[in-house]
Amino acid sequence: MVEFYRGTVAGGDQRTVFLSDYRRWTVFSLAACLAYTAAYYFDWPLFRYYLVSGGLSFGVQPESAGAPILWYGWLMAAALVGILAAAIVPRAAALRIPPDLLWIVPVASVLAAFLYEARWFI
Amino acid sequence: MMTALLIVHGLFAVALIGAVSHQAIAATLKYPGIRTRPSLARLRASDPNIYSGAVAFLFLVVTIMGAILYPQYRLTVRPFVQSMDLRALNGVFELKEHFAALGLLMLPAYWAVWRQTPDKENKTARLWLTWLLAGFVWWNFIAGQLLVAIKGLFS
Repeated sequence: MVEFYRGTVAGGDQRTVFLSDYRRWTVFSLAACLAYTAAYYFDWPLFRYYLVSGGLSFGVQPESAGAPILWYGWLMAAALVGILAAAIVPRAAALRIPPDLLWIVPVASVLAAFLYEARWFI
Repeated sequence: MMTALLIVHGLFAVALIGAVSHQAIAATLKYPGIRTRPSLARLRASDPNIYSGAVAFLFLVVTIMGAILYPQYRLTVRPFVQSMDLRALNGVFELKEHFAALGLLMLPAYWAVWRQTPDKENKTARLWLTWLLAGFVWWNFIAGQLLVAIKGLFS
């Protein structure tokens, strides 16, 4: 019997293949990336965090409350959409998602972020 | 407390940069049709899969620490950036925010593609997602370092 010196060559193909429900994870990411982009473009935070009072608010507080942090609210809104999408989208539909979408959607989200924030650089 | 957290945040970010950069380069070298120099043969022979767990864990931890530090940034650094009218630097941080969020939300897909059988299409997705994460990590690290040192650099 012939063996490789110091065992087999480490390769990705030799690992345990994760076949169970990985498509749900990808559905989460695709939906959440799109939802995050929509959340900051259209100002749809799930909640606002007011620094001065140190409290969360689901509505807009008066100006005296100071400027809120929206980022937590955008992130949570996107995560919620992702979780819902992963739960609702049927497995058969998830299996038909083209693999290329996995990188096209994040790349598009990055381009959208650059376009949105270009106002700071002009 | 916040200073200690900022230092740990930076240290974890350095580890994350190392892991994700090695993975991105190793995955690129393994991509079909890519020719490599002999000096890169050892990196090509390494398994890029071994980094995925560490990258996902470190990205999660670094982002959580960043989220805890964020209010402090808003109270101390951002007013200084605005008072000095450093608009571009403000934009750099806004992008850092978006990249941290997008990276975090991409992590499940990133994790999944590194757990699947690597067919050709899957390899393309692996490569793109890994390089995107690497880009986010590098951008966020450099932006973070600039903002931490801002008073020394611009005042």
